[in-house]
Amino acid sequence: MALLELSGITAGYDKNIILKDFNLSVEKGEFVSLLGSSGCGKTTCLRLIAGFSEPMAGTMTFDGKDYTHVPLHKRNFGFVFQSYALFPHLTVFDNVAFGLKMRKMDKETIRKEVMHMLEVVDLKGFENRFPREMSGGQRQRVALARALVIKPDLLMFDEPLSNLDAKLRVKMRVEIRRLQQELGFTAIYVTHDQEECFAISDKVAIMNKGVIEQMDTPSEIYNRPKTEFIARFVGFENFFDLERTGECTFKTKHGVTIRTEKDHAASATLKGCIRPGDVTVAPAGADLPNAISGKVMVSTFLGQHNQLNVATDIGEFVVSCDQTQVFPVGETVTLSLAANKIILID
Amino acid sequence: MSRKKNLLGMLLVVPGVLFVVFFMLVPLFSLCLTSFFPQQSFSFSSYWGLFKDVYFQQVFMRSMRLSLLSTFVCALLGFPTAYYISKHSKHKGMMMAFAVFPMFTSPVIRSFSWMVILGKRGIVNNFLVAIGLFAKPQSLLYNEFSMTVGFVQLFLPQMILSLIGVMDNIPDDLTLAAGNLGAGRLRSFFEVVFPLSVSGLVTGSVLVFTGCMTAYTTPQLLGGADTRVLSTMVYQYAMSLRDWTQASVVAVVMIVVTMLVSSVFNTVSKKVNPIA
Ligand SMILES: Nc1ncnc2c1ncn2[C@@H]1O[C@H](COP(=O)(O)OP(=O)(O)OP(=O)(O)O)[C@@H](O)[C@H]1O
Ligand SMILES: [Mg+2]
Repeated sequence: MALLELSGITAGYDKNIILKDFNLSVEKGEFVSLLGSSGCGKTTCLRLIAGFSEPMAGTMTFDGKDYTHVPLHKRNFGFVFQSYALFPHLTVFDNVAFGLKMRKMDKETIRKEVMHMLEVVDLKGFENRFPREMSGGQRQRVALARALVIKPDLLMFDEPLSNLDAKLRVKMRVEIRRLQQELGFTAIYVTHDQEECFAISDKVAIMNKGVIEQMDTPSEIYNRPKTEFIARFVGFENFFDLERTGECTFKTKHGVTIRTEKDHAASATLKGCIRPGDVTVAPAGADLPNAISGKVMVSTFLGQHNQLNVATDIGEFVVSCDQTQVFPVGETVTLSLAANKIILID
Repeated sequence: MSRKKNLLGMLLVVPGVLFVVFFMLVPLFSLCLTSFFPQQSFSFSSYWGLFKDVYFQQVFMRSMRLSLLSTFVCALLGFPTAYYISKHSKHKGMMMAFAVFPMFTSPVIRSFSWMVILGKRGIVNNFLVAIGLFAKPQSLLYNEFSMTVGFVQLFLPQMILSLIGVMDNIPDDLTLAAGNLGAGRLRSFFEVVFPLSVSGLVTGSVLVFTGCMTAYTTPQLLGGADTRVLSTMVYQYAMSLRDWTQASVVAVVMIVVTMLVSSVFNTVSKKVNPIA
């Protein structure tokens, strides 16, 4: 059984329902990221798990025990706030020591544990500073140390890196991942940044309108999105309706045959999708597999390559092509869809 | 450009500065002068004379006692109220309006209403007699009790407002963080909310204490002949006895004491919250 299990959770604010029949399960030692557009309920979900609010319906179990109504201070979960939420009137040392003090540990043990944790997050020598005397990145590490030092059974991060610059962000996310693997804690991580989320997690859960649409390993999500929403999220821009004619062979509604390399779908009518970079553009009439003809509508210079918007019978395609290829607006072209890059969605 | 701005800034400040200098600093200075020149030459004699006066000592102690007690009661009543309004109230605006509503009536009116409430035929006495606590009405007026009640009611809004001001600036995430780290409700209140509210408590206390020390109507109307305080004493010296030197000596003592007590409050708050 999974370590953390949310089932049938309904949650929201007053009459405003945000999560509806929400399910999530996290295995011990796993690093799970929650990804989703702004306002989809990621923070709501984390706060619920942490016990900052209670669900209107549904249950939460942790390590086999019912945790739905356990008060927050009895959960032993760590939480790294987006705002860090450091105690401004306490020094770095006292901030980190706070959780241990609440656990009534003796002074000497507290001192040892705190100093060790400050060393881990590379903040030795800062213990007598106040939070306002630290930089954003340093504060973030204090917040991290404060959450880690209590050896939480589960650690939650709510966009902990969003206030940092790009360089520090990369450094810190490597750090977080390293600590997680070293200390072996279970983590749920909320972020807006797709790259960050793929780089750091064992599993990624993508949320849409208060439910998780797909939860899988990063490569699975990237290479095999299960819904159109997920596919769009991970960079698929071209969608077209298909009708099955056999194993790995399909036909568009205009009768063009499309072959795929793998067939992981079941339905008779389904959707195909492909990323802009996996479509080859050729002059009209070229003899290519999975060929579709269309007319160039817009051509945009994007530095590395050009982006073309091509109108076809089965909808508009966004494709990217080499700088060396020049297709003026209005020209008829042939698009070839790479058979091993087409993803099928039931 | 920046010079022009500086000039403009200075011009804007001038009226305020002039006002403060002429209507506050100059009178204050002349007050001090008066108190040190009982006759033509400089001397501490008026001070020594006053300090040795048993009557003054009594009045001084009473003023201190009443002001400190009222401040303490205001803090005790104001803290939970402010905490509730700032952190747990759904109708914050309305609650604030209720809290500050007494400020819209004059201290005179308020003192008179206490005279009605606490009088021999007032509701408090009627109630106490009705439940059989006392056989006949007690005298609740014109003593230190009625003065404290009056002070507390007069200055509680100041305390509440100062506290709400700082409590509103304590992010809810901090209490959640404390809870998340294992602090129960009470513990997180005393470890986080309280220390972070101390600056408001100090501001409120200074306001209440100063207010109590200097209030005139309330002690005059709710106190009696044998419960004189420093402010009524000043009035007595200046207006009844026409002894301006003595009046200014008492006034200077009041100023110094108020400043001393305020700085004690501030020192205590620094101990609780070093960054405040
Ligand atoms: N305190 C609140 N009261 C009422 N509605 C709220 C409150 N907090 C959030 N909401 C609403 O709940 C929805 C989900 O909010 P939530 O904070 O969970 O989003 P999120 O996924 O964390 O978004 P973001 O990525 O922008 O942080 C939003 O539509 C928001 O407007
Ligand atoms: Mg959020």
